[in-house]
This record gives sequence, structure tokens and C-alpha cells, in this order.
Amino acid sequence: MARMPRDPTRGQMKLGAFFHPTGHHVASWLHPDAQADAGTNFRHYLELAQMSEAAKFDLMFLADALAVRDGNLEALSRWPQYMAYFEPITLLSAIASQTSRIGLVATATTSYNEPYNVARKFGSLDHISGGRAGWNVVTSANLSEAFNFGREAHYEHGERYDRALEFTEVVFGLWDSWEDDAFLRDRATGRYFDPTKLHTLNHKGEHFSVRGPLNVARPPQGHPVIFQAGSSDVGRELAARTAEAVFTPQHSLDGAQEFYRDLKGRMAKYGRSPGHLKVMPGLNPIVGRTEQEAHEKHRYLQSLIHPDVGLELLSNALADFDLRPYDLDGPLPEAAFSVVPKGSTTSFRNVLRWAREEHLTIRQLYQRFAGARGQRTVIGSPTQIVDQMEEWFVKRGVDGFLIQPSHLPGGLRDFISLVIPELQERGLFRTEYEGPTLRDQLGLPRPPSRYQQ
Amino acid sequence: MQANRRDQMKLGWLMSPAGNHPAAWLHPGAELHGANNFRHYVNLARKCEAAKFDFVFQADAAGARDGNMRALSRAPRFMNIWEPLSLLSALVSTTERIGLCGTMSTSYYEPYNLARQFASLDHLSNGRAGWNVVTSAHPAGGYNFGRDGLEDHALRYERAREFVEVCFGLWDSWDDDAFVLDRASGIYFDPDKMHYLHHKGKYFSVRGPLNIARPPQGRPVIIQAGGSEAGKELAAETAEVIFTRDASLQRAQQFYADVKGRMARFGRPTDHLKILCGFTSIVGRTATEAEEKFQQLQSMIHPEVGLELLSEDLEGIQLADLPLDQQIPRDRIPATANRHKQFFEQILRLIDEERLTLRQLYLRYGAARGGDVVRGTPSQIADYMEAWFRGEAADGFMLTFSLVPAGLDDFINLVVPELQRRGLFREDYTGHTLRDHLELPRPASRHASATDLAAE
Repeated sequence: MARMPRDPTRGQMKLGAFFHPTGHHVASWLHPDAQADAGTNFRHYLELAQMSEAAKFDLMFLADALAVRDGNLEALSRWPQYMAYFEPITLLSAIASQTSRIGLVATATTSYNEPYNVARKFGSLDHISGGRAGWNVVTSANLSEAFNFGREAHYEHGERYDRALEFTEVVFGLWDSWEDDAFLRDRATGRYFDPTKLHTLNHKGEHFSVRGPLNVARPPQGHPVIFQAGSSDVGRELAARTAEAVFTPQHSLDGAQEFYRDLKGRMAKYGRSPGHLKVMPGLNPIVGRTEQEAHEKHRYLQSLIHPDVGLELLSNALADFDLRPYDLDGPLPEAAFSVVPKGSTTSFRNVLRWAREEHLTIRQLYQRFAGARGQRTVIGSPTQIVDQMEEWFVKRGVDGFLIQPSHLPGGLRDFISLVIPELQERGLFRTEYEGPTLRDQLGLPRPPSRYQQ
Repeated sequence: MQANRRDQMKLGWLMSPAGNHPAAWLHPGAELHGANNFRHYVNLARKCEAAKFDFVFQADAAGARDGNMRALSRAPRFMNIWEPLSLLSALVSTTERIGLCGTMSTSYYEPYNLARQFASLDHLSNGRAGWNVVTSAHPAGGYNFGRDGLEDHALRYERAREFVEVCFGLWDSWDDDAFVLDRASGIYFDPDKMHYLHHKGKYFSVRGPLNIARPPQGRPVIIQAGGSEAGKELAAETAEVIFTRDASLQRAQQFYADVKGRMARFGRPTDHLKILCGFTSIVGRTATEAEEKFQQLQSMIHPEVGLELLSEDLEGIQLADLPLDQQIPRDRIPATANRHKQFFEQILRLIDEERLTLRQLYLRYGAARGGDVVRGTPSQIADYMEAWFRGEAADGFMLTFSLVPAGLDDFINLVVPELQRRGLFREDYTGHTLRDHLELPRPASRHASATDLAAE
């Protein structure tokens, strides 16, 4: 495809590496190029981090949940993603000391944490890493998590977001407890810090009462970089107000452009410039040296999905509708179309749309859904994949992507050796890091303290 | 006195970037910019590892101290301290053998989150994690977590007990051999070896299971401090290391006998708990040189700082209006303590038994939060440690140094070789996990069958 005209003021594409323990594909652990015990294998993660840093990724990104997944145990025992794995902040702290440039982004929920603890952990990680921390702010809509925190139900959507908004406000306030130059360490006068540059938050809100101050110096980045993935109206509003990077899934360029315009358009009323939020949805690349090789790789991964796993996944998306009695190679039963969704309505709508419009069988449906799990999969040669990435970037559907390799480390190695050089060749991606901090890579300003504005 | 005690002493270092003396940072022997310098921590941890210490330890508090800000600005207390698990995790990949221990509060965490983070640290470090269980004894913490200051001592301990029980249960969520990772059959884990906890208690309701494999050590080493009745009882039941601090050998021996004597009731052998005394030393080539080093630091304690240190452990009472060269009037001091009972009682003892003036009191108490600062030659310091170890006042020591790195370096270069020469301390690690170093057993899972246990 012909080179697309680009806006020279816009900079280059941002790329995050999103590491699900053995890889994004549900059957990834069965792949010979995957690390089967990835969840608690530190060497594995360290290798991924160091490979990604050598390839100049902006950041590595870790998801999280505060529970094992519930469901049919027979199926889960074949599909171990997020059943047993490192807690992300401890893992990223360990990686911090063995890397020097790559951003370190961890998920932490506002539903089952305390803002003071979260502010401290990310503040500490930002210090330890020399300004490379990022916090993916999520709310928990998962009953399994509620059960581990003394609740019989998860917080309703509105309450979750109210709580999240207040939580982030408290955390931002706590990070500003100390002005950047509060620590004098002046032996001549005996003053270690200047008390006038220490600020007590005195927050009293609906969900939290936090006096402060935080007992950690202001983070090197001012605030660690804030990630979010909201797609609902409330979620978008929260993102426009507080997020600096958003990775809400996008399946079509039209949809991505609409989201991009909408989100950036909402920022002005919060006094924010559109460039201060990077839109970088998930992307699952399956790359081969040729298109044919890529499709073979994909078919191989899909063939590894056990029917028990496929059905479990599909029934999760369909509000636990039990598909086991039905023929795998027949259509989705009519009854499935009338269930009431819970959790992510996006997945729910997608599955029903594929069944209705494309007449996919149950097996085809679970392969489609399981293979991508709600995120966009692109399969092809390096040129084909980069063409698509470039088009989305140039046409302002995205500022970049969170790359989710299908299996790890194999899939990451493929992306780095085949796709990154092509991106760099076209000038779409950096060949050297911009600076030492994650804000430097992402082109985000360092927020001034609220007390120094 | 067990002259022929055959085990060796255990040594941990309570990390402090500049030293524990309240005037440390003013001294040229302290690292001025260490608090936010990760490389500084790496260097220190590596020194301790080269000296074969059992562990390094990161203390914590749930809030910045909030007393007299003028005093705190001269000697900040817990006002800029990295969150322990983040720091310890970062040290995982820059050290290989040394234990990594830290404080986390049962009052301001959820057991699921805490169990997970320590399990994660234990996996990352291949079995070197230790958790210091605290209830948080300063009101500044409460205000950061929606509480109106400090909760009652008894309530904090009741909650702590249940919290620890939940964590123990969560760490046993997966049997050691639950993950079969069999690609041929497509089975990743054996569902029969995953266990729900279904805990419903007074403070917590936690279904489980934990979403991380059983820690390499079975569970992290459980550390406690606290000399209260409730604290001693909890320690005898669950702790594997306890910290104590007392300047009197005889009282320390009584404490040692008391706590170890309680263990039989919980079916625990006494060597499954190591009692480590807080120990601060200043080494000189001569005793005079050591004394001079100490007095130099003491002379640098600003009176405001001294009073604040006392006030903090006397339930926050006002002292600034009192003359420095008289005793504190007894009616100024509350009858009982709700913060740290052990520290509170030590101050009262110094007042009652030694009749110290306010200035003498803050100098004595402030130098090492009530503990002695032992000054002397390497052999005098080793003598002291040997007497406490052989005399069953301690199984080892929680070391603090007035100045860092100077004091730490002196101890490692001069005292450790003397302890090794006497056979009191290891010359090399014999194992890989913190339990190996501390000679503590790896706990069997509560779900292990009788057959499994017999095979151990």
C-alpha cells in the first residue's frame, strides 16, 4: 500500500506490550513456544521485559484480578489464564531494577484497595524505577472478587465509577503531599524538610476519608501515568477527566475513529489538551514471514482450543448460558439470544452479532471469540500488519497499540523480529527512547503539583 | 546459661537509609540522599548478603508522623519511606540469598491482597520472604484509612489474629503439586488440589482460593513484635520470629522464657520461634573511640527532636513547656498505653528507676528508642552478643546502626569476623530460603493428607 500522508506534529506510534502470563490466546500454554509455568516464573517475565526494552516498546502492561476465575473447574483446569500468577506491582518492582527505560504499568482496582496504599505503592514503584510507573485504574465487576472482600455482590456500575473517581482524586492529592523541593536535607540549618511544602489532604468524601499526607516523596513523574479502559459513557467521562492512556478495545476503524474523536472531544471541559491522552487499544498480531505462514500459525493455535474451554468461554460471555447440551457444529440455540447480559456487554453483543449475521456454528463462535477474546486480531505478513497499524494511526483511530502476543515468549519474539523493523523502516516507531521516564516516551507532560499551580 | 548452645545466632538488619540515630542524617558518616535512591538500598542489601546476614528488614508505618512539625522537620519519622513490598521486590533481582522481610499492617489491608503480595514476593525471590505482622500503633495511620485515629489495642489484636488465620488459609489454596502442566493431556492443574477457604469471621469474609501457587516456603516467615500480653500470646501461637528490645539482660531472659514457655500449649517446639533482640552498636578500635563516636551523635540531637521522640511513645503528650533539667511530672503521663505498650513501659521505667531528667531521658531513650547503644571494641561487642545469645535472652539480633553506611560497614568489617571466629555466626549460607537460614521448618499445607505428612 502506498505510504500514507502523515501529520508531522503528531509524533510516532506508541506501543505497549501487554503480557498475559503464557500469552493472550486461550490455548497459549499448550504452544511449544510458550512458557507453561509463566505465572510464577520471574525469569520468563524478565526476559519479556528485556526483549521489549531492546525493541523500544514504550511500556509493558500487566492485567490483574483479585480472585481466581470461577466456572466449570474441568474447563478451567485446561485454561489456566489468571488462575495463579504474580501480583503485578511486586513483579514490576522486581523488573524495575533489571531494566532502565521501559515503562512499567500495573493494574490495581479501586473497588478492593485503599487509596493510601495504592498511592504509596505506585509512588514507590515510580521512585524505584526512576519515573517509569503507570497505574491502570480499573473497577471490579466480578462476583468472584467480591467474595474475597467480604461482599456478597459486586458494586453496581454507578457506584463503582463514583468510587473510582473519588479514589483517583484522593490518590492524585496524596501524590502531591510533598512539593518537589520539600526535602532540603540541609545539614547547616538542621532542616531535613520544609514544613510549608508538606500538605495535608484532609479528604472527606462519600467513599473515603483520608487525611494524608502521603509518607513518600512526590514521585519522579509527579504522578505515575494513568491508564483506563472505559467504554461506557461514564467510563469515557472518567477517562477524559483523568486518564492519560486508554486501551478500550476497538474492532473497526470507524468505531475507533468515533471513540477517538469522542474521547478527545470530552477533554476540553476538564481543561485538558487532546494530546495529553493516548488512545492505544489492544491488538493481537499473528505474524508470519508470509500471509500463508501467519494463517497456519493461527490455525494451529485455534486447533489447540479444547471444546470444554471453548464452551466455557462462550458461556461466560453469554451470562453463563450452558451450551454443553448443543451440537458444536450446529447454530447457537435461539434461547441464547434472550439471556440478560451481565459483566461486559460488549462481548455479549459481539457473540450474538456474529451468530446472527455470520451464521457461525458454536465451534466457530468459540474459536472466533476465544482466539481474540474481545480484542482485535490481525493475521498476516509484516507488511500487511504494519499497513493496518499505519492506517489506524494515520486516520486517527489510535495513537498506538497495546500489543498482546498470542503466546509468550514466542509471539513477542515474532512481533519484535518481523513487525518492529517494518514500523521503524516506515518511521512509524522510535529507534531510540526519548528520555528516561514513561512520560518522556508517551509525550505526556509532568503534572505540576496542585499546590504550585 | 547454655555455654554449649550449638546453634548459631541469627542476624537481621533493620534497613535505614541514613541510620537510626535521630541525628544521623546530620553526620558526615551518613548517606544524605539515600531515602529515594534505589541504588543505595541495593548496595546496602548486597553488603548484608556478603556478610551472610539472615535477612534485611523494611519497617513501615501507615502514615507520616503528625506531631510537632518543627521537630519532625529536623528528624523525620516515617515521612518518606518506600512501601516495603515494592522495595523488597525490587531487591529480589539484585540479591540471591538474603531474606527479604517487611512490615504490613493487619489494620489497613485486606487479607486477600496481603496474602497475595507476600506470596508473590516469596515466588519472585525463590523463598526469601518474611512478613512482619503489625496492627499499626499510631493514630496517624487511622486517619488515612477512614478511622477516627487509633483503634483500641484489644480490637486490633483480635482483628490481627483473624487476619493471620485467613492468610494462612489462603496460602494453602493450592497444594504444592497442584500444577501438573501436562501438555499431552491438556491438563494444567488438578482441580482436586485447589481449595476454597470459605472463611466467614467477625472481621473478614473471604471465599478464596488465592490466585497464586503455594509459596515456595509454604508461607512466608511470620514475624511479630510487641511485648503486650496479647502480643506475646499471638506470637507464641503463630510467630516464627519475634523482635523485642530491652536493655536488661535479666528482663530479656524472662521475656524469652515466658514466650517460649507459652508455645507448648499451641503444640509448637520452642526452636520454631526465633527471638531476636533489637541491638544497636557503635564499634571503635578502642572503647574510647566508640564512646566518642556516640557522644558526638548525642550532642547533635536537637531538644525539640528529643522531646518529640518521647512524646510519640508517651501517647502524644505535650512536653515542650517543661524544664529540661527536671523530671517529667508523673501526672503528665497517661495511666496506660494504647500505642506501643513496650516502648511506653520502657520510658516509665527509666523515669521511675533512674530518675532521669527530661534531657537525660530523651538522650537515653532517643538514641535507639529505648534500647542500649552498645559501644566498644569488636571483641567487647561480640562479648555482649555472646552473653545474650548463650544466656538465652536472644536467638539472634535485629541490628540497627546509628549511622549508615558507616556503622553498618564497621559492624560487617570488624564484628562479624569476630562472631565467626567464635563460631557464633555462619561463614556461609547453607540453604537458599529464609526458612533455611533461620532453621525453621516449611509448614505442611492444611490440606496435606496423613500420607503426605508421613513422607516428609
